This record gives sequence, C-alpha cells and structure tokens, in this order.
Amino acid sequence: MTQSRPSTQTTPAISVQDVRFSYGSREAVRGLSFEVARGEVLGFLGPNGAGKSTTIKMLTGQYRPSAGRIELLGSDLARHREELQGLIGVCFEEKNLYPSLSGVEHLRFFARLHGVKDLDSEALLERVGLATRGRDRVAGYSKGMRQRLMIARALVNDPEVLILDEPSDGLDPVSAQTIRGVIREQAEGGCAVLITTHDMWEADALADRVAFINEGKLFALDTPEGLKLAFGKRSVRVRVRLASGEVAERVVELDGEESAEKLAQATRGGELLTIHTDEATLEDVFVRMTGRGLA
Amino acid sequence: MRLRTTLAILRKDLALGPRSPLVAWALVMPVLMTLLVHGVFGSLFDARPRVGVVDPGGSELAAALLDLPELDSRIVPDEATLELLVERHDLDAGLVIDVGFDEALRAGDRPALPLFVSGESLASNRVIVSVTTLDLIRSVEGRSAPVTVEVVTTGDAQDLSMVERLVPLLVLMAMLVSGVFVTSFSLVEERERRTLEALLVTPASLTDVLVAKATLGLVLAVAMGTVTLALNGALTGSPAGLLVSLLVGATMAVMIGLVYGVISSDARSLYTLFKSLNIILIGPVVFYLFPEWPQWIAKLFPTYWFLDPIVAVTTRGSTLSDVAPDLLVALAICAALAVLVGALGRRLGGPSVQA
Repeated sequence: MTQSRPSTQTTPAISVQDVRFSYGSREAVRGLSFEVARGEVLGFLGPNGAGKSTTIKMLTGQYRPSAGRIELLGSDLARHREELQGLIGVCFEEKNLYPSLSGVEHLRFFARLHGVKDLDSEALLERVGLATRGRDRVAGYSKGMRQRLMIARALVNDPEVLILDEPSDGLDPVSAQTIRGVIREQAEGGCAVLITTHDMWEADALADRVAFINEGKLFALDTPEGLKLAFGKRSVRVRVRLASGEVAERVVELDGEESAEKLAQATRGGELLTIHTDEATLEDVFVRMTGRGLA
Repeated sequence: MRLRTTLAILRKDLALGPRSPLVAWALVMPVLMTLLVHGVFGSLFDARPRVGVVDPGGSELAAALLDLPELDSRIVPDEATLELLVERHDLDAGLVIDVGFDEALRAGDRPALPLFVSGESLASNRVIVSVTTLDLIRSVEGRSAPVTVEVVTTGDAQDLSMVERLVPLLVLMAMLVSGVFVTSFSLVEERERRTLEALLVTPASLTDVLVAKATLGLVLAVAMGTVTLALNGALTGSPAGLLVSLLVGATMAVMIGLVYGVISSDARSLYTLFKSLNIILIGPVVFYLFPEWPQWIAKLFPTYWFLDPIVAVTTRGSTLSDVAPDLLVALAICAALAVLVGALGRRLGGPSVQA
C-alpha cells in the first residue's frame, strides 16, 4: 500500500450519516444512516429498487449525496475522494471486464491505477481459484470465472474497505464457498466488508450484521441471529411413532422458561423419529417486516 | 489529472489496440486507400497522354518525346506489342519510327510515320499527341516553328492532377479514422462494457480517462497523417510547418472524437452520429477536387483550418508563419471543443459525478 491511512483504528471504517440522494424528483435514498467497523462484514439486503445500488455508488464516490455525510476510514469522502478510492476495493454486480485482456493483465492494470508496484498477481489468482487460467483472455472465461476475477480485481490494492455487489452471483457452490472464505479472510485481516446479496443463506452465513433497506430507508440493522429472534418464529417440530403405529407431529413453541419441559413432554409417549427446528429465515423476517419479498 | 493513472490507462489501451479491429482498420485504411487511388484511379485520372514509341534506330524524335514532361512516354520493343497496348487502351497512342527516319527527314524526303491511336482515348489526348509529334518533327528536321505560341494558364494555376487533388482526402480520412473514430469508440466501449465505472472507483478520474483516450488518438492521427503523406510522395515542404499542422489537425480530430464519445451512450448512437455529421468533417476535400467551385465555402468547415495548412505546406511550399493564422483558428476551434467535452463529460459517470 502506498496511500496514507487517514484514520485511527477506533473509528468506524464506513460511516453513513443521514444520507439522501434523488434522481430528479424521485428520492432513491431517504436519510440512510449506518456504520461498519473494521473487520466486520455487513450484509446489505433489500429488494430491487430499494436503494442499495445508489448507496453503493455513493460509497464508492461515483455519486455525490444530495444531503448527509459519508466518511470512510474517518475521512470525509466528498473531500478526500481520490485518496479514499485508493483504499477501497469494489466488485460490481455487472461483469465489467475487458474481454481482450487476460486475468493477469487485468490485475496488473488495476494495480497500476492504485500505484501498487509489488502485486503478486499469480498468488491473487490462486486465492480465487483462477491460477491455471490467468494467462487466458477474459473472453474465454465462464460467468463464474469472470466473477472470481472481479473479486480478485477488488483486492489488488489490499483494501481497507471492501464493497461487494452480489459477490456469489454466477458461482457454483464450491466457488461460492471459496469466495466466502476470501471475504472472511479479508475481514479477519481488519478489512470492513459491505456486501449486497439476494442469497439470504449467504448473508446469514457470512455477515456479522445485516441491514434491511426498503424504499431508500433502513428499517432494521442487527445480527442475523438477533433479527431472527426478534422477528422470526421460534418453534420445534417433533415427530413420534405412537404405540398404535400412527406417526404424530407436535409443534412446541419456544416462548418461555417452560420450553424445555414442553419439548420433553412432546417427545414422550412413543418412539422419537425426528426433531426439526422451525427457525425463521432472514427472508421470513424481511417479508414480515416489509410485507414484500426480496426479489 | 494524475500522470500515473493516465499512463496506466494509455498503456492498457495500447495493449488492447492491436486486438481491436478498429485500430487495425485505422492503421491499414490509409495504405489501402492510397493503393486504390494510385492503382485504380491514378491512371484514369492522369491528365497526361500516354504514348508508346518503337524506335529501333535511336531517333532524335523518340528522345525528344521521352523528354517532354507533358507526355507520359515510354519505349516499346516492337510494333506488334505497341499495337496490342494501344488496342487495350494501355496507351493513348503509339508511334513507329523506322531506322533512318531522321536522315530521310533531313534529306527532304517524306518518310512514313505510323501512328496508332486508341479508340477509347480522349479526343484532347489525340490532338495533343498529333500536334506535339508534328512540332517535334519540325525540330528534328532543323526548321523553326512558323509561329510562337504563348501559353496562358487559366483557372487553377497549379494544375494539380486528380491524384494530387485526392491527397487531402486521403490525409483527412487517415486522421479522422485515427483521431475521431478510435478515440470515440474507445470511450463508448468503456461505457457500454461498464468498465468506465470500474475505472472511476479507483484513483483514476474522468479527466485521466479522457486524456489517455485523447493521447492515443493524437499519436495515431499524427502517425497515420504522416504515413499517408509519405505514401503519396507529399511529405515535403517546411518540416516545422508540416509537424505543427499535423499536430493541430490531430488535436482537433481527437477533440471531435471526445465530443462524439461523451454524447453517445452506445455504439449504435455513435454510428448515427458519424452518419449524420461526417459530411461536416470531410466537406473541405470536395473543394480540392473541384477547384473551380467557390473556395470560401470550404472555410465554413472546421477541418478546413488544419487541412489547408497541410496542403499549403506540402504542395504550395508554405512555411509555418504562412499557415499560422489558419492554425490559430483551428486551435480556437479545439479550445471550444475542449470546453464542450468538459461540460458534456459530467454525464459520463452518472448523476452528480465528481470528475
């Protein structure tokens, strides 16, 4: 890294304060506020048109908020845009690569833009599982390979803030797991990560906290567990084979100190076959809170 | 503007250049156009009559014909070949000078002089060949002409051949393809593929991107303008005047390319723009092809202000100081285009983009 670090380790890596943005008369973001700490992964969830992409464009310095303030690493983005852009990594949802350049050429080009002289492009490609195809032109890459290259490109400057728009889009399960591992490694190294995703399971598995955004407003921000506990259904489904041979299914609501006793009772009186938790998903929570789905 | 990021983008574009069909076309097109003009149209538009001479005896008449710059004369080995060449209209006319022709002429005899004329040759060429031959015969005979013909040139005093008049078109096309097309396509491609977005979230600014694109177009336009002049034997005149004229021309070409690039959201709209506005760019060349037309109209076209200095330096022997006023007008147009690019460029990154 050649850029100077303008902030201390205690300030939030991303601080969004009452930010607004309008496309003409249509207000896309309405007073959004949240923070992301160093080493934290924040899942940014919302349906299409909720204001996620506009927020990302503001965080990456492409759009200037019409009101409010964005700080990255303790510095005002409006005043230190170019310096801060040297410290962030961005992966777009759109596969915006040069078809005629190879994977290695991509990484070297973006490293030069960031002023990184000692980039080990081979090692970076190895991290995302592209080591054997690094010399090939992107035109011959599959959708998943392009996505992995986009992730690698976002990492050329060893960013302190990583902004990923649908990072698992187009990836097979094994590649998606590899990429989740890379994101976790970055966070463990102190990088603040903001990801948008439609994959609720991924957000649940990867994010330390989750922000729900709808119609340009933030209306929930908590850990996945906290959100599920606060808004989801807490119950256990028990299946027992009775002495008569009949299979009975019993639902036990986990809503108090007597929950353990209720569960014990439900399992008696026959052969215990299965126990399933009936935990709410993040999507259930979102639908319950907004009355609409994430698609 | 940051030099590091600008150079990085330029380096990337140079790496992509040879892989781009458009850049390849910009490099090949001037050569192909020159070959086309010289190979196909060159002989058709050559104003000089083409004469073949069979001269086994080394006649003074043949030597005099070969020396005349007004004729495109050459020696042909035998009468059969000559007849064939004239029949095919490879020659307008052909003379067969027998051995001893000069001596017979001086002795007062009336030796035969077969003259083959192509049926497809222009009437004016037949007259020129006949009259010139008779005039030279009188000279070989040792007699002076009975009258002195005073030649007065009207119209274009330079009397340029059609090929020479096509050189401005070739130079302009070479510079426009490199400067306008390559620059604008490169920019529109970045927008269409959304790679511009990827560039603008790095320390590279929109200005860096535009300067890199302009530099590539500028270098290509100067290089291809120079190559085209060289291929057409027109790389002559004041080096300073020519270099500055080419540089100003290339600057105007890339500025127009940037305006096209920032206006067009995709390749389709860029093509539409080319089709609609290219007459404004190549308009001045018509006035070189037809010098009898009112030349002041050419000055209404922006490209005239760098094209005419290039033509003036290479064909009229003008110097840098001679063409400086025209070049200043061209630079003023470039400055206006730069302001336009700055104003329109804000649209490139989306609303409220920070350029």
